[in-house]
Formats: sequence, C-alpha cells, structure tokens
Amino acid sequence: MPIPSVAANAYANVARLGDAAAGLGTAGTAAGVAGAADASSFGALLKDALGQVTEAGHRSDAQTRAMVAGKADMVDVVTAVSETEAAVETMVAVRNKVIEAYQSIMSMPI
Amino acid sequence: MDLMKSIAIAASGLRAQAGRMQVISENIANADSTATQPGGDPYRRKIVTFQSEMDRALGARLVALGTVRPDASDFQVKSEPGHPAADANGNVKYPNVNPLIEMADFRDAQRSYSANVNVINATRAMIARTLDILKS
Repeated sequence: MPIPSVAANAYANVARLGDAAAGLGTAGTAAGVAGAADASSFGALLKDALGQVTEAGHRSDAQTRAMVAGKADMVDVVTAVSETEAAVETMVAVRNKVIEAYQSIMSMPI
Repeated sequence: MDLMKSIAIAASGLRAQAGRMQVISENIANADSTATQPGGDPYRRKIVTFQSEMDRALGARLVALGTVRPDASDFQVKSEPGHPAADANGNVKYPNVNPLIEMADFRDAQRSYSANVNVINATRAMIARTLDILKS
C-alpha cells in the first residue's frame, strides 16, 4: 500500500527537520542535551527550541535590567536583544513550518 | 552562528569607538585646563590606541582599546602675567590640545561607529532574509 509509506516518509522528514532544529543555537546546554537524547519526538523538539529561546530571552532581560540600573553597556543590551530576536524568529518560523507539514499530513485523503 | 559572530565583532568596534569618544571628549573639555601651581604643567593631551584581540570563545579577532598614552608634544605657552599659573617670567603653559585635531578625531570616531552600526544592520537584514526562506 503506497499511501502509508508516503505518510511515513513525510513523518520521517518532519523528524529530520526536528533533528536539524535541535542542533540549532548553543550546544551543550542542559536543554540541548535533553533534546538530542529524544529529538525524534515533536514535543521534545518544541521543548528544546523553547528552552533555547527562553534562555536567550533571559540573557537579554538580565542585560536590560542591568542597563536600567546603570551597570550595563548599551552595546551589550542591543546585541543580546538582537540575538533573542533572531532566536525567537527562527523558532516561530520552524514551528510554523512543522505545523504546516503536520497539517498537510492530517488533511491527506486516505 | 557566523552571523551572530559578525554582530559581536561589530559590537566590539562600537565599544572601542565609544572609548575613543570618551578620551576625545576629555581632551576637548580640558583644552583650557592649566596647572594649579605657578609654573606647573597643564593637562596633557591623551591619545587612544587600538589593538586586535583574539576572542577564543568567539573564535574571531575583536578590536579593543589599547593603553591610553599621553601626547608628548610641547605645551602652548602664552604670556599672561596675571594668571595664577604663570611662572616667574609671566608665561602660562596651556594644554597641547588642538581643537581642530580633536574635531577631526571625533568625526573619525563617529564615522567608524556608524560603519560598525551599518555592519550590524546589514547582518540583521541577512538573518531576516535567511529566515524568509523558511517563511515562504
């Protein structure tokens, strides 16, 4: 039966995308290691990506707080915020792509 | 990620130029600072140096402010016998700061800062364009 194998291929593609996405960002973090152990599950992928984005967000938050307290360099704040921006946008783009793939599998006529 | 590295390198340029601006503004502000003792030396102009620095965590060469050195050139001497800092001959030493040179230096710092900001903007645009591939 060809149709289930097509669906299985599509799922494998999504899982590969998940593997690639799990490799994004800083390696060696606790979230990264946890994600690598079980990267094939979509939940683990999302958790991993979210963990990295949250970490980048915390860094830029800390920089902004230090800036307001008069302790940080403006340049550090700007670079931290733009790093977070890139991380968030990457995560959103990957999530949209994965959900799109999932929906196209779900709407496949069987 | 290489693009984030470019941003970090350009940010080091921003920091270095900001430090240079600080020294230039110090020079301009102290252009008339004479000695407090009669016959003493006034403010001496400062010169910034830049140096290339290897950042191991980043794996790239960043720019950093080197040591800030005093300018060894001669002071300007003006004859002002009534001045509190005048020596026995009525001469007062003024700082070796030339406002025109400082203006040129600060334009240079400004342009260099803008160049680094442009690098950051261009890099961010490249990141956004790369993400556009995923969005389309």
